[in-house]
Amino acid sequence: MASLVPCPHCGSRPKEEFTVKGAALPRPAPDAGEQVWMDYVYLRDNPRGRYEEFWHHTSGCRRWLVVTRDTATHEIEASRDVAFGTSPEARA
Amino acid sequence: MADFQLVHRPAVHEAFASSAGAVTLQPLPEGRVIQVLGKPAGDDLRQILTEFAGTGPHGLRSAGPGQWFIVGDSPMTHDEFQAMAAKLAQHAFLVDQSHGRVRVGLKGTRIVDVLAKGTGVDLDRVAVGESAMTLVGHISVHLTRLAPDAIELMVLRGFAESLWDDLVRMSREFA
Repeated sequence: MASLVPCPHCGSRPKEEFTVKGAALPRPAPDAGEQVWMDYVYLRDNPRGRYEEFWHHTSGCRRWLVVTRDTATHEIEASRDVAFGTSPEARA
Repeated sequence: MADFQLVHRPAVHEAFASSAGAVTLQPLPEGRVIQVLGKPAGDDLRQILTEFAGTGPHGLRSAGPGQWFIVGDSPMTHDEFQAMAAKLAQHAFLVDQSHGRVRVGLKGTRIVDVLAKGTGVDLDRVAVGESAMTLVGHISVHLTRLAPDAIELMVLRGFAESLWDDLVRMSREFA
């Protein structure tokens, strides 16, 4: 398994610097109801293949990132800052 | 008033030097370390902060988006800090970390080989004046390249001695 994660601010860093927080799913509306929020917070799929995840660069720049990663191969396609959103390309 | 006198002691005691200038570890003066947190959605403050960075080499160091450290060898009084915070109030929040963070200097021809044992940063791509927040082993450090053969590490005070012992052990190969 590859161990380098590209951070758009810091460049390639070992995965030990990051905290993974699961799939980056669209957040329900505040008044969406208890069942919808239960699903969003607790019930997650564990898909095989490519999807977007939240990663926190805990021991680096401390920014929240969205990393597009393939769970089968660990190939990382892209990473971007959640807040800035517009910087699509990560530093190699 | 406290019943006892606080005694200031250096976090790290003695320098370490290997032969022929391969690696030298040096505790740096406990002067000023000011953490700068830019206000959300603020402009790039680098230009504004430069005038507060003092005369030391690379006194202003980036620490992630919207965050910087202002460092220097000379201490800062509480009044000086308050004056600086007031001048920058519209742009950023300042936190005085002078007593919370310790700086260690590494010099020599093999420092990159020493640090490569502990950090995932590609040091060949860190140019003079550039900084990186990273881990050395399990310890969080702020790393700055001061010269081709000089790197400075800044670490939380409570971790300084542990980091120091690690660095000495990592340097033994070149002793």
